Amino acid sequence: MPKIILFVLLSLLAFQSNAQRFTISGSIKDAANGEDLFGAAVVVKELTNVGTTTNAYGFYSLTLDQGEYTLIFRSTGFDNFELKISLNADITQNVELKVPTDVQQLGEVQVNAVKENDNITSTEMNVTRFDPKSIETIPVLFGEKDIMKTLQLTPGVKGAGEGNAGFFVRGGGADQNLILLDEAPVYNASHLLGFFSVFNSDAIKDVSLYKSGIPAEYGGRASSVMDVKMRDGNNKGFGASGGLGLISSRLTIEGPIVKNKGSFIVSGRRSYADLFLGLAKNQDVPKDTKLFFYDLNAKANYRITEKDRIFLSGYFGRDRFQLGDVFGFSWGNATGTLRWNHIINQKLFSNTTVVYSNFNYEFTIGAGDDGFGIRSSIQDWNVKQDFDYFLNKNNTLKFGINAIHHTFKPGALTGSNESFNEIVLTPRYAVELGAYIQNEMKIGSRINIMYGLRYSGFDLIGKGNAYEFDAKGNQLSSTSYDSWETIKYHQGIEPRLSASFIISENNSIKLGYNRNFQYLHQLSNSTTSSPTDVWVPSSNNVKPQIGDQIALGYYQNLNKNMYRISTEIYYKHLSNQIDYRNGANLVLNDQVEGELVYGKGKAYGFELQVEKKKGKFTGWISYTLSRSLRQFDDIDNGDWFSARQDRIHDFAIVLMYRVTKSIAISANWIYYTGNAVTFPSGKYEVNGQIIPYYTERNGYRMPDYHRLDLGFTWYMKDRKHFEHNLNVSVYNAYARENAYTITFQDNPDNPGETQAVQTSLFKIVPSVTYNFTIK
Amino acid sequence: MKQLVAFSLLTLALFSCQKVIDVDLNEANPQVVLEANYTAEDSTVRVRVSITSSYFDASTSPTVDNAIVTITDQAGNVITVPSVGNNGEYVLTNYIPQFNTTYTMNVLYNGVNYEAKCYLQQPVPLEEITYEFTPGFFGLESGYFVYLRIQDEPEILNNYLIVLGLNGTPFSDLSDMFLQDDLFTDGNLLERPLFGAFELFQLGDTVDMELRSVDVAVYDYYNQVIGIASGGGGAAPANPTSNWNNSALGYFNAYGNSRRSVIIQ
Repeated sequence: MPKIILFVLLSLLAFQSNAQRFTISGSIKDAANGEDLFGAAVVVKELTNVGTTTNAYGFYSLTLDQGEYTLIFRSTGFDNFELKISLNADITQNVELKVPTDVQQLGEVQVNAVKENDNITSTEMNVTRFDPKSIETIPVLFGEKDIMKTLQLTPGVKGAGEGNAGFFVRGGGADQNLILLDEAPVYNASHLLGFFSVFNSDAIKDVSLYKSGIPAEYGGRASSVMDVKMRDGNNKGFGASGGLGLISSRLTIEGPIVKNKGSFIVSGRRSYADLFLGLAKNQDVPKDTKLFFYDLNAKANYRITEKDRIFLSGYFGRDRFQLGDVFGFSWGNATGTLRWNHIINQKLFSNTTVVYSNFNYEFTIGAGDDGFGIRSSIQDWNVKQDFDYFLNKNNTLKFGINAIHHTFKPGALTGSNESFNEIVLTPRYAVELGAYIQNEMKIGSRINIMYGLRYSGFDLIGKGNAYEFDAKGNQLSSTSYDSWETIKYHQGIEPRLSASFIISENNSIKLGYNRNFQYLHQLSNSTTSSPTDVWVPSSNNVKPQIGDQIALGYYQNLNKNMYRISTEIYYKHLSNQIDYRNGANLVLNDQVEGELVYGKGKAYGFELQVEKKKGKFTGWISYTLSRSLRQFDDIDNGDWFSARQDRIHDFAIVLMYRVTKSIAISANWIYYTGNAVTFPSGKYEVNGQIIPYYTERNGYRMPDYHRLDLGFTWYMKDRKHFEHNLNVSVYNAYARENAYTITFQDNPDNPGETQAVQTSLFKIVPSVTYNFTIK
Repeated sequence: MKQLVAFSLLTLALFSCQKVIDVDLNEANPQVVLEANYTAEDSTVRVRVSITSSYFDASTSPTVDNAIVTITDQAGNVITVPSVGNNGEYVLTNYIPQFNTTYTMNVLYNGVNYEAKCYLQQPVPLEEITYEFTPGFFGLESGYFVYLRIQDEPEILNNYLIVLGLNGTPFSDLSDMFLQDDLFTDGNLLERPLFGAFELFQLGDTVDMELRSVDVAVYDYYNQVIGIASGGGGAAPANPTSNWNNSALGYFNAYGNSRRSVIIQ
């Protein structure tokens, strides 16, 4: 007996000492222009469920037992690359993937045979990811490719409607989405009150929207994260692309700084809707009326050594509306990001980021001596340190810390008009902290789990005043604080979980849970969300919003991955939601916290999406059935009521058809039942005039919304270094008058009688854009 | 401020269209509406008692003539305000005002007693009215606009309701009234140009201005009711905060005023 035990022990020892592990690591890039591929995969052909994916900078690392393997490098839209390796020592292997040569056409999403079922296998649940190539032919408002509008065609994401900035994810508020552009927060992501987004798709590499199971590296908003990454620029050769359109035009220039080592990209866009006002031939419109926006994205990166790379990116955008000398209104974001990637060793990747972000808006009334202005801004400085640690073939760790210093300047009234005292509302300062750790783990061949924990803290500091209010909102006391003295510290622990169980090659089940704390809140009391909506920090009066969400999904691919079906259900609970007292004054109010009331919310729903990814006909159908409700003790006697964004049925169908090599047509049809709204349930007279009488909050519905958009793209003959196409699109092709607002007023023909008047914004809007690319 | 946002939306109006539609509205339980004004200028209390009715009903809301309406001064003296007809009106004349005291009104109807209080402030006088010429814009022809001028008393919270008039006829619509507080101008000479939806004044016009000194609850009420009457009211319109209790709609305003006129020359 002892001999057998000894033999077994010795064999085990022998087995152990022979199982040496080595790491292969490196980068995966696009062969055409050197862009890093995020989420590209490296899998081992001979083993099941063994592989890894690249991080945001295209870096991968895979640790295996010593041996011979065939590795397959792959990414959506590219040919697979196979490589046989003998893993006897650590290897650095950089790979460039090529676009398949038989795919000339843009807009047809060619998915390669082996990776096609990545929707089944990956843990990433509830991530809607777009790369601009796949949305190029979708017709959007005014013919512009718009990532935000396209996301609103997917389940669970609802636009706030025409003329409204912002969007709602799974019943959450418009301020509950963290929008990041190269890690810099964007506070207002729209131009012209929501008709255009701030993202110029020529400069964008990747957009990922996380609806649930949000990874621990993200924090600060309760409902979703929209992570937008800018392109780095072609580091192999110069190129330019752009478009000339009826309402706006854009131009992008990119090229290497040093070939294969560094590159830059500059992208600009400007609209000129004010020219149309000139054409309006309306004498009422004063001379010197301006209505335009512009965006500028710029980025440069350089590889200093084999292990070090730096990036510098910036975004500047502004909207301007000027009515002669009478009135002016402008707003915009400016962001700047400086990053340093450092490969510490084969398994450990580090990224250090410093971010500056500024959002401000300004009203000016009158000009010269009689004029005055109101200006408001938010400014952030953010320092982040993140690590990706590819521990072994079954575990990939991410951990890091970050700190943001916020400066809120909610309003300053300035002017040379002497009757106004110069008012500067107390600026507020805060430091927001985060620390996280997360592991993405594979168990066996069927289970992938991503679990993590985030700690977040929020320190509201002086210099400034803090107010106390009674239950009716009257100020009780005011205390002043010195610079950096803590007024109030809030903190939270945020567990995050996302898991997938692969039933077979064709189907899987996924589960997600996340808890998110939100320390900044946007107050909006108008029917249209406006850039002037005030952002307030959590304080001694305002508690952090907390979102808790659980979601479950089932995914099925059919017909050799030609069709992808995903179904998800979710339930979300929201704590510390904010609303206002009747007649609340949100403008230039230093004591705006006294106007707020607090309550809770819940949202739940079912989402279904069927996509066809291959063939001449591609597209998807999406359907969401959902409710979003709120409860406040101070409103409606504490009864639950529908949130404004409660929209029960939401349906979209998107079709793209490649007729021939040079002609593509696309169509989308959207239908949704109306938002909840407050209408009168009676009337009475005051001052001899009819006044509507309101009973419950949001007890009615707006009329149903539907519209059809059509697009036609003609790809004209390519030259050697030049590609071009002409796009004609029509927004709202059957000219339905969808309701923007409904107001109740006196009948002008018959005073004493009342009527409901509906205002619609757009009937049919055609647009023509000429696009070109120079290589 | 709402006017400013409305200006920006005016441009959108160039592209938009409007139409009358049918909307199905519920019928709420009737609620009592009490509109009470105690005008110091003519020592008269005027009250109108009515009930809410269905929104699209073409007739005016039903009125109440059998309510018992009283007004009480700060010393506790109670006087009845008698009904004067069959249209819900109650009037009390020769009721001499005592400034800087609080008045209480009570209305007993259908077994429920409704009460409201209001502070009758010593009225602040108007300064001389000045005016200026402007070329027209946005549909308004060229003409003159007037300035509201008030020498504010420092440290006292003042709230005002301003009503303009032309040649003796006031612009009495809620949306033509102006509100002013002294939050930004405390202690200063306030000069504010008054622009409204009405036409600019022309040479030879007599412009009347009435400055009502109201208490803060009435100011808030008018702020909200003017917003609703103009079709606004924000994302979640609600009934204006009334100073009556027991959920009565309406307001009780005890106020003094100051009047001036100017002829545009």
